[in-house]
Order: sequence, then C-alpha cells, then structure tokens
Amino acid sequence: MNRKNSVFDGLLNDNTVLSSFMVISPIIICGDTLRNAVALIYAFSAITFLSVMFGSFVPQKLPYALKIIIYAVISSLVYIPVRLAAEQFFPDIIPRIGIYFMLLAVNSLITVQTEAKFYRMKRGRMILSLIFYIVGFDTVMLITASVRELLAYGTVYDRIVDADILISGLGKPFGGFIFLGLFCGVYRKIRFMANHLKGAN
Amino acid sequence: MFIIDGIILLLTSNLILTQALGTSTLFIAAESRKKLLGTALTITFFTTAGSAAAYFINNLMTEKFKNLTLLFYTLTIGLLYMIILILLYFTGKEKFRDIRKYVHISAFNCAVMGTLFTVTETAKFYPERNNINDFMLSGLQAGAGFLITAFILTAAYKRLTSSDVPASFRGFPAMLVYLGIISMAVYALK
Repeated sequence: MNRKNSVFDGLLNDNTVLSSFMVISPIIICGDTLRNAVALIYAFSAITFLSVMFGSFVPQKLPYALKIIIYAVISSLVYIPVRLAAEQFFPDIIPRIGIYFMLLAVNSLITVQTEAKFYRMKRGRMILSLIFYIVGFDTVMLITASVRELLAYGTVYDRIVDADILISGLGKPFGGFIFLGLFCGVYRKIRFMANHLKGAN
Repeated sequence: MFIIDGIILLLTSNLILTQALGTSTLFIAAESRKKLLGTALTITFFTTAGSAAAYFINNLMTEKFKNLTLLFYTLTIGLLYMIILILLYFTGKEKFRDIRKYVHISAFNCAVMGTLFTVTETAKFYPERNNINDFMLSGLQAGAGFLITAFILTAAYKRLTSSDVPASFRGFPAMLVYLGIISMAVYALK
C-alpha cells in the first residue's frame, strides 16, 4: 500500500459509513438537520481522534478482548471532557441528540478498526489515516444532514429557504435508512465509474 | 391475537427499526441463520444482564456523577464480556473457538449500549418502571427485537445480494432501503 492510498482511504475508497458500514445510527437518526450534524461532527471527531491516540499506547501483547475493553474505557473517559465542552458550545442541541452522543464513544472505529487497521501502521501514517477516516464520516454526515434538512423541513441551518417540494418522511428514521441506502448506491456507482475510467486510461 | 399483539409490540419498540441501534451488527448477523442465532442470543445476554446492572448503577449513582454513567456501563459490559469468554473457554476449547466471534461482535455495539441508555431514559419518564424486573424485561425485549429484525432481513438477504440487483445497490445499500421500508411500516403501526 503506498502512502497516498493510505492517507485518502478513509475519505473515499474505504469510507467509514459508505464502505465500512460503521457508525450509521447517528446519521440515520440525528443526521436530519445541520445543527445536529455540526454537534455530532464535533463529538465524533474529538472522541475518536483522542481515543485512538491514547489507545495507541496500550501494549499490543495484551489479549484481544482485554484491549477492546481498555479502548472502550479510554473513549468513555475521553467522552467526559468532550461532553462538558459540548454543553457550553451546543447547549440546545445536546438534549436533541440524546443517547447518540454517548454511543459515539463506543463506535466501531475505536473498538474494532483500531486493532484491524490503525495500530498496524507507523504513528505518523496512523495519524494522517485516522484524520481522513474522521473527515470521511464528517463529510457523509454533512451531506446527509444538508439534503435531509432541505427536503424534509425546507430549511438550511434553521433558515427557511424557498423549497417547492417537501418530503417530511426524510426527517424520520425510515427516511434516514432510505436516504443513506440511496446515497451509498450513488457513491458506489461513482466509484465504479472512476475505477472504469482509470482502467481505460 | 395475543401472539400478534406481542409481535406488534416487539416491532414498534424495536431498537433497530425505530432508533437504528445495532444496524451494522444486524448486517453481519443476517449473513446466515447460524450467525443470526448466535449473534442474537449473545446480544440478548448482554442486553438483559447489562440492563440489570444498569438498574443498580443508576440507583447507586448520584446526579453529581451522571457524566460517569457511560464509564460505568462500559465497565459493566467489559466485565460481562470477560466473564462470558472465560466461561466459554472452560466449557471447551472447540466451543470457545466457535462462539467467541459472536461475543466479540456483540459486546461493544450500539444495540447493547443503546439498550442500556434507552431503558434508563424510559425509567426516567415512567418512574413506575424503575425496577429490576422492568429493566431486565426491556433488555430481553431488545434482544428479541434484534432477533425478529434479523429474521426479517435474512428472509430477503439472498435477493438483496443477488445479481438481479444493480451492482451499485447490491448488498448494503439495498438492505438499508429494505430496512427503511420495514421501518416505515412499523412507523405506521405506531
């Protein structure tokens, strides 16, 4: 694997949500407005980055199950200051996000992917790769929230826009499932086409 | 009629279809019936035992330490994770090799942790449900809900991953749309 591939994998080829199918519940349930999305992006980015960084100091010789528990405990500890800061930055959003804020602390990127991917890399490459995995999630969350807010409520960041057609179901959980499914299909189609073009060249 | 009422209750309070909790694990579980049963049983163990532990944690912890809730829940699930692995190891090495993958998948996922938080939230809204029996029953219900949704997905799994579905939508995207339609039907039942 060359350096360029490793760095961009999390953003395009191996996107956390669209390729690896991880951390999808906050996107389906809370990814219906940009305000929610910004708070979740902050929480996910801060908790995941700090937890993976601290977790990288855990001795690799320990049994697998024990390491997973230690990673989960580390992220539960990282959650506390992140939550306290979020209560200052997003006081009205935190109650709306509810349990999904806490669930971000035990996301699969921390508990599973660390062992399978990040801790097999050298530290510098791991940091770069981790950043792009986080950005990959953030991008999907932003796109999903923008489109769903616009089409479901006719607003963008709570500002009313001139939308002719509203599909209120997109703001509901089933709308989240369907939208994410379609988004994933379109993403794959684009990837197929890009690979096809690369092959032709 | 009683059975139909029970199924409707399990569907309308289903954590996957109404809150999308444990969707990623569901996709892994739906691959085969053996995997489905193994994962669902392990998740049910974690949600039931975890909910019982959550009841005691909630009642022992003061409001001042509410930010430590996640840490205590994580430690509880971690302890259950170790206990179940140790028990399996001493039951037989072959059994341990067969079953441990389900334990690894099931321990730290949104379905289990989400159940603990959802049961706690429900008890806050309905104080009469703040007792050990209701906590354990809700945990059991969450596990049963996972099993039902996994069965629903397994029934269509082969078709959703078949070559009849366009390549871009085959598998995961088609499964998400399918779950969305089931979720819409459950939403209408509410």
